[in-house]
Amino acid sequence: MPKHDTPLLDELEKGPWPSFVTDLKRQAEKKPECFDILGQLELSFRDKITHWKHGGIVGVFGYGGGIVGRYSDVPDRFPGVAHFHTVRLNQPSSKFYSAAKLRDICDLWEKYGSGMTNMHGSTGDLVLLGTTTPNLEPLFYDLTHNLNQDLGGSGSNLRTPECCLGRARCEWGCYDTQNLCHSLTMHYQDEIHRPAFPYKFKFKFSGCPNDCVAAIARSDFAVIGTWRDDIRIDQAAVKGYIKGEFIPNAGAHSGKDWGKFDIKAEVLDLCPTGCMWMEGDSLKIDNSECTRCMHCLNVMPRALRPGLKQGATICVGAKAPILDGAQFATMTVPFIEINPDTEFAEVIEVIEKIWDWWMEVGKNRERVGETIMRIGLPTFLKVMEITPVPQHVKEPRSNPYVFWQEDEVEGGFERDVVEFRKRNAQ
Amino acid sequence: MALSKDELKAKILEKALTGPKAQLYVKDFYACDPEAGPRDVKNAANDLVKEGKMTFWSSGSTTMYAAQGRAKDEENR
Amino acid sequence: MGYDPANPMADRITDIGPPHYEQFFPPVVKKNYGKWLYHEIIQPGVLMHKGESGDECYTVRVGAARLISIELIREICDVADAHCDGFVRWTTRNNVEFMVDSKAKVQPLLDDLKGRGNRFPVGGTGASVSNCVHTQGWIHCHTPATDASGVVKAVMDELFDYFVSHKLPAQVRVALACCLNMCGAVHASDIAILGVHRKPPMIDHDAISGLCELPLAISACPLGAVKPATAKNSKGEEIKSVKVNAERCMFCGNCYTMCPAMPLADPDGDGIAILVGGKVSNSRSMPMFSKLVIPFLPNTPPRWPETVAAVKNILETYAKDARKYERVGEWAARIGWEKFFEKTGIPFTIKSVDDYRLAYDTWRTTTQFKFTSHIK
Repeated sequence: MPKHDTPLLDELEKGPWPSFVTDLKRQAEKKPECFDILGQLELSFRDKITHWKHGGIVGVFGYGGGIVGRYSDVPDRFPGVAHFHTVRLNQPSSKFYSAAKLRDICDLWEKYGSGMTNMHGSTGDLVLLGTTTPNLEPLFYDLTHNLNQDLGGSGSNLRTPECCLGRARCEWGCYDTQNLCHSLTMHYQDEIHRPAFPYKFKFKFSGCPNDCVAAIARSDFAVIGTWRDDIRIDQAAVKGYIKGEFIPNAGAHSGKDWGKFDIKAEVLDLCPTGCMWMEGDSLKIDNSECTRCMHCLNVMPRALRPGLKQGATICVGAKAPILDGAQFATMTVPFIEINPDTEFAEVIEVIEKIWDWWMEVGKNRERVGETIMRIGLPTFLKVMEITPVPQHVKEPRSNPYVFWQEDEVEGGFERDVVEFRKRNAQ
Repeated sequence: MALSKDELKAKILEKALTGPKAQLYVKDFYACDPEAGPRDVKNAANDLVKEGKMTFWSSGSTTMYAAQGRAKDEENR
Repeated sequence: MGYDPANPMADRITDIGPPHYEQFFPPVVKKNYGKWLYHEIIQPGVLMHKGESGDECYTVRVGAARLISIELIREICDVADAHCDGFVRWTTRNNVEFMVDSKAKVQPLLDDLKGRGNRFPVGGTGASVSNCVHTQGWIHCHTPATDASGVVKAVMDELFDYFVSHKLPAQVRVALACCLNMCGAVHASDIAILGVHRKPPMIDHDAISGLCELPLAISACPLGAVKPATAKNSKGEEIKSVKVNAERCMFCGNCYTMCPAMPLADPDGDGIAILVGGKVSNSRSMPMFSKLVIPFLPNTPPRWPETVAAVKNILETYAKDARKYERVGEWAARIGWEKFFEKTGIPFTIKSVDDYRLAYDTWRTTTQFKFTSHIK
């Protein structure tokens, strides 16, 4: 495969940020199809339009997810990328790897693919970018037999679940995100690999309300760690921050002189509920007023820690704008203990109630958040058998159009209009 | 009385082979047995794929079913 | 052994899932799992986590392109082998993290990384511009309205100084999605770069019968703009096809996803919109959506100067004006969006006034506002 001139892409070899063009050129020395990737991309840069086509039926046998078909619309000029399908590998929870494992994946992809990857795709998969239809089955065989590794989800499947690094290297993980993510991934292999739903369904697991995997913005089922007792305070460390012995916000603001740390301005006054105050040099918190926003913990990680009665809040129905507009996930289960001893049966029960309802009433290509929007949160809460609480809304409704049910109204809906007219003439 | 799994599969395959639509959503098969749950229908349809009688067609974001050979695609052009 | 094409189902293995995460934990992570006390960013890109045991885990965070080769992954493995007991991880924002268990091992690791050209920039922590997450763009997607890797490279080159430092009021998350479908959801980013189409789909009457299920194309349209129609193909034959009511088209490309005979991409029609002020975290304020402030910038490869300048202008106006801890959206909400437009010098256009579903949420229903230069 010949090298193509790429004057436009060459401009992207300049500058301090790592250049994917330089990387592609280096890879092309071993995998010449990368010259055709560069060639076709250069053509797109010149034409200001994509040169890829979608293909719908490629996959490994029996799986309805994990492979996305892709073809060049200029295959004669770039035969190395005529077929260029995507392979999604289910990443290990929170994306720790051993070099040995990665090298195995690299060797596999050198054998069967283009040598290019995405580390990682938007949903979290390790994405292998560009292979041919005949290579798919042999690749899958080697993947499952030699690498003990499976594909992720695509299409109307449960998508590859994703979690933050949680307790592996963070002091705020209020439940074991990796364990829950991995366990549910294993529990729902069928749903990940074969379509089951009206549309895609995503799980994301964040250990605390900082929500580093954007669960509340991006997942149909967001499990976000929280606690329901008191923030743990180390008063000596609070004093340390005030005296300037510790750098506030864990050093996140070290590049600019923002002046001496001011606990009132930087912590107490920024608390959204105003539930913190100083008594002498002791920090006090009215925990019953706290909404666990994390700001004070973020600013003084040495002094403040989440409470000990930990669990998670479950929010349902986030999605990107297509089609009705973007939605954040709606708070549905205020607090749930995440219990590995029951193999997370409590979480599974919530998931399957959602699925049973959505599979029945969801329209084709309708995310569960849109179904809830269309049918209404009150109905959804009833289906979920969840007692409505003020926490489910930001404020009560402002219109009076309540959908009363017949059995809620004294005497029901049936009335005799003849009797009515005897008392109230037309 | 819900159909047996084999009866349900036969109805699904018939719809996929002879129905006016070549590509169908899983919901399109719900009518094959109104008494079956969505999960039963989904499992029956996925079984037919495992048996090679139907294929998946995916837009990347949505997945549909088609009888073997009926899906419209680059590979079938 | 190995795959046998004559007998493809022989000893098939399916549904085994991903490998268990625990085998990939560095020893210091495994030992202190769930027992971390606090962390500190000792310099931009270098984190220290302290365990209850007294152990320390030092993490060096390195920005990477999302699109990377196996050659580069192997080089990352070399670094992990040399310094980190053979372990490494990726963040959700395409950064690579190298972890060591003592401070003495940090500098040799940094030196090694620095000796490898510009491939491993250390940063992306604290009040910085963190790595830009993005989608495929022209490198691999069939529906993009712009490129992804190229735009991101150009933007990150320009914002590089903010990646390797901690001088912003808060972290700034920049994200790019190459079309309105947002497979990389950018709707809750501080600064979102979004590919947009502006021309309705064409209809390829020669291909539509072979490529598409017409009812799918029709039902794909959220606004009912795609209708059945009879048309003539280039041979003059009458065929069943569709027509598009251009006035109702919102340029989302859903029809093209279901029916490849309805292409809408176009060199002049496509470009970039900029949305601002979203956030995901619950810290202080609730999560917020990004809001559309620049409806269109042209596609200008290879370095998209208009987009780069627009992002930098917003970032630097914010950096100068916002209070410590304030995210872009919190800043704009505090000063008011009319002030946002005035301070950034971005012209306010009617395109920022919502007329889609749920639109009323964003209209102003109070007499409270600021008299900016917009009011003559």
